[in-house]
Amino acid sequence: MLAEIGLVATFLAFFTSLYAIGASLYGERFARSESIVLSGRNAVLLTFALMTTSIVALEVALMTQQYQIAYVWTVSSPPMPNFFRFTALWGSQAGSLLFWSFLMSAFAAAAVVLNWKSQRRLMPYAICFMMATVAFFVLLVILFENPFDRWWIIPTNPVDSQVVKAGLMPFGAVIPTASNLADSAQGLNPLLRHFGMAIHPPMLYLGFVSFVIPFAFAMGALASGDLSTNWIKATRRWALVAWLFLSLGLLLGSRWAYDVLGWGGYWGWDPVENAAFLPWLIGTAFLHSVMIQEKRGMLKVWNMFLVIGTFSAVIFGTFATRSGLVDSVHSFARSEIGFPMFFFWGGMTVVSVSLILWRRSRGELRDEHSNTNLFSRESLFMLNNFIFVALFIAIFWGSFGAPIISELVMNTNITLGTDYFMRVTPPLFAALYILMGIAPLSAWGKTSVSRLGQSLVIPLLLTLISVVFFYISGVTSAIGLLAYGICMLAGWVAIYETYRSMIARRQAHQESYLQSTRALFSRNPRRYGGYLIHVGITIIGLGAIGSTAFQQQTQNTLAVGQSLEIGGYSLRYDGLRSGQIADDGRMMDIADVTVLRGGQELAKLRPRRDFFTGAKGMDTMTIAGSYSTVENDFYVLLVGWEPVGQNAATFKVYINPLINLIWWGGLVLMLGTIMAAWPTEILPERVLKEVGAFVPNGLLQKGV
Amino acid sequence: MKHSLYRRIANLIFSALIVFAMANSAYAQTAPPTTTVTADQVNSIAHKLYCPVCENITLDTCETAACEDWRNEIHIQLEAGRTEDQIVADFVQRFGDRVVGTPQDSALRALSLVTPWIIIVAVLIVVARVIMSRSRGRNNTAPSPQTAASSNSNQKYHDLLEKDLEE
Repeated sequence: MLAEIGLVATFLAFFTSLYAIGASLYGERFARSESIVLSGRNAVLLTFALMTTSIVALEVALMTQQYQIAYVWTVSSPPMPNFFRFTALWGSQAGSLLFWSFLMSAFAAAAVVLNWKSQRRLMPYAICFMMATVAFFVLLVILFENPFDRWWIIPTNPVDSQVVKAGLMPFGAVIPTASNLADSAQGLNPLLRHFGMAIHPPMLYLGFVSFVIPFAFAMGALASGDLSTNWIKATRRWALVAWLFLSLGLLLGSRWAYDVLGWGGYWGWDPVENAAFLPWLIGTAFLHSVMIQEKRGMLKVWNMFLVIGTFSAVIFGTFATRSGLVDSVHSFARSEIGFPMFFFWGGMTVVSVSLILWRRSRGELRDEHSNTNLFSRESLFMLNNFIFVALFIAIFWGSFGAPIISELVMNTNITLGTDYFMRVTPPLFAALYILMGIAPLSAWGKTSVSRLGQSLVIPLLLTLISVVFFYISGVTSAIGLLAYGICMLAGWVAIYETYRSMIARRQAHQESYLQSTRALFSRNPRRYGGYLIHVGITIIGLGAIGSTAFQQQTQNTLAVGQSLEIGGYSLRYDGLRSGQIADDGRMMDIADVTVLRGGQELAKLRPRRDFFTGAKGMDTMTIAGSYSTVENDFYVLLVGWEPVGQNAATFKVYINPLINLIWWGGLVLMLGTIMAAWPTEILPERVLKEVGAFVPNGLLQKGV
Repeated sequence: MKHSLYRRIANLIFSALIVFAMANSAYAQTAPPTTTVTADQVNSIAHKLYCPVCENITLDTCETAACEDWRNEIHIQLEAGRTEDQIVADFVQRFGDRVVGTPQDSALRALSLVTPWIIIVAVLIVVARVIMSRSRGRNNTAPSPQTAASSNSNQKYHDLLEKDLEE
């Protein structure tokens, strides 16, 4: 019954999304009928309701172990804990596509509800683009990856083809016995049985789908001819929310890789990792450049291209993950949807670029100001945009461009790995951090070099002190110190600018430190939230430099009681417990080791190898044991052991300096983004009056 | 042609060495190890190579049996006195340029490393030309210059900040 409910709801959602497109376009463009446009709006809400029904049906099927549904049989099994049974919804292609469609319909409904009154002119066209995306993904679910297909037995068929998978009951088929199906159920891919992996995909999907909203509004602006900053005002918070989810998705994915993939790192420059990073890069460029359009009426065409670029990168990333276009550790998500996705991606790009060119040819995207000063904030933001685009090009080329072209043109398979990315990207990242350290000090319109230089004095002094601190703590490499210095400058400038604003306001208004800080953050949360994001990015940068440039590793085989030395630490092998069975059925071989420093015992760790019997895909996992401090992570992997006697085992040990700063910097980044996206409408009236954010008619002037 | 002949002879000699070394290693399993090659030396080279079978996984971290064999092979080659470059070149010769992070073949290497910079510079030139052509001949309608840079007076800075926040 659940399969029927889900299937019917998905079918209906496809038709209601098509209706929403047709009614919105026809009602607005041709019939000029408000009631038809409104019916299109209601169809968006109905699509969301139907997709919710569909997703709930599949989730209930997973939780109640309906193994006659092929998807449930594929991604779950009786011993699986309920948490992973729940997250198995996005554990394979069909479920994750349905989930993607559901999220997209939810965001479309939210955009319609929240922006209908303020952006009435853009909405019908925005609905067309949002619902075209929903309809396409729902169609993929229906035609290629139906999670509601069931197992059937056709007794009259030959023995090897008696079991068939189909959405509707084939002629002469019978339902297989539930107990037989439960016994043979495959269970979730072992690699996905991790807390980070349970949350990482939804966060990425949320980031992906919410970037569709700014794209839809931008296209709405182009189609409707309302090319003011309305579409930016309508979508800047959506863009920040999308950026927040995408950042969180990338961070959780990195943490998952660090914990589960067992290679001592968190970012392997894998093509699919990079495919998720590409929209983040373009989205970040967009978040900066829309400020130029808001403040100075410049870069209108460029912003349109960036928002299309972000959308294209989202669809391309989804396509690359699922098409098998390139080899990747994420290849479990491959299927036949590659070509349809490619055509959708190409089609949407052609339509949107054509709209831009059409409006541009009519002279409707002319900038209101031109840039005349090299050190103005808009110049530096443009440079920042250029570097983001350069990073996009370099990473796209390494992940997709070079491997595909070499295969097509030269008939040679190549892999551009860490070696390539570590040659090409560091200068670009360094330039980005330098700009992060200068741009906040410049002003809109014009800034002189001497003024900019004066503003930089204190942050540079603080940076110098930090570099000396790094030197004293043992970093002697000139390049390492330079890298830390560049990174620190960006953070100190953000802190210094916030401090300077606070002091200035405090003196002008005779306020306390707390009052002036609160007033500043309430007055312009985007600006100060942005500075907090810069601090987060600085902390992440320090962690990335430390763990990449100064990582130490060693591998050794130890007899019980023997030790190995690395980076001032000792690792003592205490013994092995093999064949341990966990609650979910996995078999574990666990090594007991002790970490010591200067003869003092610091921690007892249990690196282990997990074996999943009968699991589909990879059936072993190497789970590291780690001892974390601010200074570094002592990260141990159990590589091998003597099967008989178990007297000796081989360990690979990593010292990853400052790696934890990546996760802590991520938290700061989250906090800054939440602050920047926080709606000032919900601040207490008293606070808003205090900071002077009201205009006479009671509407908010800032941060709306 | 001559070069290719030398290469073939060298490979034959090398293959013979491997067979000899493998035979020795089979014997060595029952005897205490006498090798001076460490796992770290093997991993250092394996880290620069990608598993020829798996997907984007370096040879030092890949857990498949095939990769275990290839790591052993690196060990044997190191014992035989081969250098890191020779070992990497041998893997590239046998499995192609996909086993290294950056291709060894000069044309592919240039294509890989230089192309992104060419594209980036081309984009920079196009962007610069567009900006310059737009700036030229157009009156600057920018508002009166303002500076947010530091001043001796906090009041002055505060006024500028207020102005900036108001826009």
